Amino acid sequence: MDRRTFLIGAGSLAASALLWRPGFALADTPKPYDAAMTPPVTGRDDFVKWMVANRGEDPKFLGEKWDRYEALLRNHDVWDAKDGRAFLLTPREDFVRPANLSRAYDHAFLDIGYGVTISGPHAVARMTSSLDVKPGEKVLEIGTGSGYQSAYLSHLTDKVWSIEIIKPLAERTRSTYDELIGKGYGEFKAIASKNADGYYGWAENGPFDKIVVTCGIDHIPPPLLQQLKPGGVMVIPVGPPGAQRVLKVEKTVAADGSITVARSDIFNKVVPFVPFTKLEGDAIQGNHNK
Amino acid sequence: MTAQTSAPGARSRAPIGWEGWDASPRPGPARRPPAAEPARALVPSLALYLGVGLVAGAVIALQICIMRIFSVGSWAHFGSLVVSLAMLAFGLVSAVMCIGKGFFARHWRAVAGTSVVLFAPLLVAANLVAQQVPFNAIFLLSDPNQKWRLAANFALYLVPFLAGALFLGTVFLKADRFFARVYFADLVGAGLGGLLFLGTLFLLPPENLVVTPIVLALAGGLCWFSAAAPPDAARASALRADLGLLAVGVLAVAAHFVLPPALGLNTLAVSDYKGVSYARKFPDSHLVYRDYSPFGDIAVYGSSYLHFAPGLSDNAAFNLPQVPENAYLGLYIDGEGPSGIMRSLKPEETAYFRFLPMVYPYLIAKSPDTFVIQFGGGISTDVALRDGSKSVTVAESNPAILKAFRTDPVLKSFTGDVLNDPRVRVVDYDGRLFLAGHPESYDVVDLSLADSAGLSAPGGFAIVEKYGYTRQAMETYMRALKPGGILSVTLWNKEEPPKSVLKLYGTIAEAARAVEPDAAARGEPRAIETSLFAVSSYLSTATVLYKKGGFTPSEIATLRDHTHAMSFDDIYYPGIPFDAAATDKLLGDYRNAIFSDAPAPAAGKAGAADGAGAAPAAEEVEDDGGPGPTPKVLPSTLMGRLAFHALVYGGWPEVADRYVFDTRALTNDRPYFAAYVKPRDLPNLLDRLEIVQDEWGYLLLWATLGIATVAAASLVVIPLVFGWRTAFSTAPGKGRAILYFACLGLGYIVVEVGLIADYTLALNNATVSASILITSMLVFSGLGSLTADRTLDRARSVLPAILCAIGAILIGYGFFLDRALVLIGTLPYGLRLLICFLTVAPPAYLMGFPMPTAMTWLARLGKEHMFLWAWGINGCFSVVGAAAVPLIATAFGLSTVLTLGGVAYLVAIPAFFAVLLPAAGKRRRGTEGLPLTVQTP
Repeated sequence: MDRRTFLIGAGSLAASALLWRPGFALADTPKPYDAAMTPPVTGRDDFVKWMVANRGEDPKFLGEKWDRYEALLRNHDVWDAKDGRAFLLTPREDFVRPANLSRAYDHAFLDIGYGVTISGPHAVARMTSSLDVKPGEKVLEIGTGSGYQSAYLSHLTDKVWSIEIIKPLAERTRSTYDELIGKGYGEFKAIASKNADGYYGWAENGPFDKIVVTCGIDHIPPPLLQQLKPGGVMVIPVGPPGAQRVLKVEKTVAADGSITVARSDIFNKVVPFVPFTKLEGDAIQGNHNK
Repeated sequence: MTAQTSAPGARSRAPIGWEGWDASPRPGPARRPPAAEPARALVPSLALYLGVGLVAGAVIALQICIMRIFSVGSWAHFGSLVVSLAMLAFGLVSAVMCIGKGFFARHWRAVAGTSVVLFAPLLVAANLVAQQVPFNAIFLLSDPNQKWRLAANFALYLVPFLAGALFLGTVFLKADRFFARVYFADLVGAGLGGLLFLGTLFLLPPENLVVTPIVLALAGGLCWFSAAAPPDAARASALRADLGLLAVGVLAVAAHFVLPPALGLNTLAVSDYKGVSYARKFPDSHLVYRDYSPFGDIAVYGSSYLHFAPGLSDNAAFNLPQVPENAYLGLYIDGEGPSGIMRSLKPEETAYFRFLPMVYPYLIAKSPDTFVIQFGGGISTDVALRDGSKSVTVAESNPAILKAFRTDPVLKSFTGDVLNDPRVRVVDYDGRLFLAGHPESYDVVDLSLADSAGLSAPGGFAIVEKYGYTRQAMETYMRALKPGGILSVTLWNKEEPPKSVLKLYGTIAEAARAVEPDAAARGEPRAIETSLFAVSSYLSTATVLYKKGGFTPSEIATLRDHTHAMSFDDIYYPGIPFDAAATDKLLGDYRNAIFSDAPAPAAGKAGAADGAGAAPAAEEVEDDGGPGPTPKVLPSTLMGRLAFHALVYGGWPEVADRYVFDTRALTNDRPYFAAYVKPRDLPNLLDRLEIVQDEWGYLLLWATLGIATVAAASLVVIPLVFGWRTAFSTAPGKGRAILYFACLGLGYIVVEVGLIADYTLALNNATVSASILITSMLVFSGLGSLTADRTLDRARSVLPAILCAIGAILIGYGFFLDRALVLIGTLPYGLRLLICFLTVAPPAYLMGFPMPTAMTWLARLGKEHMFLWAWGINGCFSVVGAAAVPLIATAFGLSTVLTLGGVAYLVAIPAFFAVLLPAAGKRRRGTEGLPLTVQTP
């Protein structure tokens, strides 16, 4: 953590100590979002205090979020500081259904209705890390779903487009964004969303640097490949929820104008699957077969 | 059909035996109802037999009904679970009646009447409640609630079975004097109930199928009340009861139809995760066609949001103006799909066919006579026609699909009436069976993504019998090729580590060796070296070609050029360079991927995250360098090449042994893609089930077995708790006698459930197979039970011979049945049904003997205390056996299931002599007046 972050954090902590009172946590964020806002990663307590002070979130969820963050690091699903920051700033609890609130930061994917799941935090983190989104890049998401993926992306770039095919779900998620924006989560203003058939992409806003496709299809829609910039990357989780592989598609244009599309895995090697029980703390490490 | 779902098999099982049992020995021959108590007697009458038969039919109908509800709402019909449920209900009722025999003997009229009246409301209520708490197999591991939902479904659907079992049990209790006829009525009624239900599948949509068992039970109840009314007040009392029954029944049916819409409840909760649920949510989706029959609930939806181009090359995006829009309808069977139905396209719109993997055979076959093994939504047929086939013979085993395409005007005009294209000839049954039974040969035989919508959850696919993909089926396809003809098989390749595709490669290679005419060369690489070609696309599809007589170098060049143009990956072609150096590392990596405790790999710029807990993570990435713009050959592609190379040039057994998953070829004996985990690895997997949760279909089989085992344990616990005095009394040969009943329980049920899966090979439809099997098993076992009466006195010599014969027949069936069924499958369907019905008869008839013989002898010898054990253990093993069959079948094969059944009957031979040991210190009782205690085991 750099000095500036620390000073901001410490200062706001001091300020919030004066302002904080029970019940305040779920109201508007104490500070409006700005792109420099970075929570401390020096420890659980520091993180929770800072987030309460700056974002006004529930300390219970913040603690769970921190624990999950540590598991993400252990499992190498977060690859650098900007991705870690994006995870820590995204209030996952606002994107799960009330029935699953207690499991918001579990490793598992959760049902959000309409036959759609919110992917587990490890899957989202790993996929987003592999996209390596840089500030200012244009990102298109096919399959808004819960909205969590785009919310996460909005901490990496200010240009996110998201398309959802199921109308009531698109509307529900849009209103989630709008409510959160109203509370001070200004970063979600970066997300433009619409209810449409994602197969055709969003040509008027393309081409895109990165595309995330989270809907099942028996082939990669040609319009999406066309709307991907040369050198752009597309990631597509393949397989059922919970056991997905992330297909990575890279588009390169040679000097002669010939286009190559290469499919790969985000790792390009055989990846040991790590049982999540192993990530949930030291106590159950011994659970593993030897 | 699925293995798991293979059987609604349990007959309505009569809890018989306790009628001879009483804690106080009651010597003396005849028990005649005292004249002073006419009200206590039940007299034989046609109405009684009809009543018993109808209620027994209702119970069987209920089983198939619940299977259908599961199929439509979820992904499989969970037949083994349903059979387990029925067995459990009859087991529980038997145990309870054993304990409370006196009570039931006194209050039989009230008990039977109440249970038949309550059948309808209990069924409606249980179904409605169960449909509000559907379980979702996808979340089986990730959501702790799902196992309770599964258990709740199990418990809820048990309730109506309990009512049916209680009715039948009580009638049997009072019908001891003419038991054999009542029992026969029960079996015939149950058998016919199954057939009748098959008929109502044409009339009622799945959500309303509960009406059939209700109507049967109501009719049964009406008969019962007129048969059982006390003679003094016959008319008035029967009338009152009839009215009450009808009133309750009508109210129940009304509740089924009225309550769900009024309260916003589900009548049949179709999972949101099934294909049809998505289609219904598309804003412009509209139902084009729906038809229900025993062949499934078929729905066709139209929407601009449907896009089909299975396995399309990514290069299509830059070489085509556009993939056609609004070109598709989605076909859903029991809510699963979609299979794409293609609009009749203009020639320029079909340009994208060239970018589909199924186009491969047509690159080198010119003007072929083509055989398409499964019509499905028709895409293979369209590709075959567009690519210049002179003729296309297309088979479709589901008559309901053919009916839709032939009769529905919308579908006909949408598809340009493709089935009536002059170049197209339609075979209205399974392509595999057709090719096996006809001498015609073809230039191209195509099996592309059959049975698999691809988008639907793969977990359920794997546990389904896939007879079209077995080694024997592949041999059939290869033999049906003209000289120079090509077999083309395309499968989804969406697994990493690869599983299904490796099984496919092995299956095709084995088949190719088997059809090599020169027997001496079969083991040599040259037998298949030049006749195979394979490509895959990462996380998309894999295609294998087999050419009779081998590919020429120029053909290989053509095919490889296409692979390159499509950016697909070579898996095998004659002469493909292969470097064995990577083998050890690859196999080791894949094994470690599942079974090591190594930390996850770092990728990308790992390790840069600051803060506590960030492990230094850069160490393992050096060798691969993380993601980059130009990936090397991907591990799964390398694995495919390794597998194919070993299959052709030798060494496959060793590679397969070292590979992390089971890659055994599919055979008619083990027609499953499932069971990827090697049995020896199962214990190591227990703490990491989540990494195989894509195999939820397979995991569900284990979950079902777990629940069935717990439930079955209750069958042993209840008698132990309530009848401990008799349960723990010592008797000569008691342990072996218990073993006898365990063998019968296990043997009968595994044969029944296993045969239903077997007979699908010839009948090609799970529901039809189940109905024929159940009817045949019940009717012939019933006849066997009746005949058993005549051999009772010679049981010591006759029954061992019968048990021996059963064992021999079952083990023999295990060896030869699949071959016979392939031949039977080539006959006209009606003849197939008849022959299947009759081939079940020999074992079924003999399997009717052991249970009643033993029960009668227990009674004769005054060992009625053993009835508790007989029912408890028999029921327990039936419940567990039904649930275990799919697991045994997927791991070891269907013949093993039959062999297991046969061995169980052989083990019963020595155990039977323990049954015949005289009770210590008790006088042998006469046979007079003791009912024939009959029971299918």
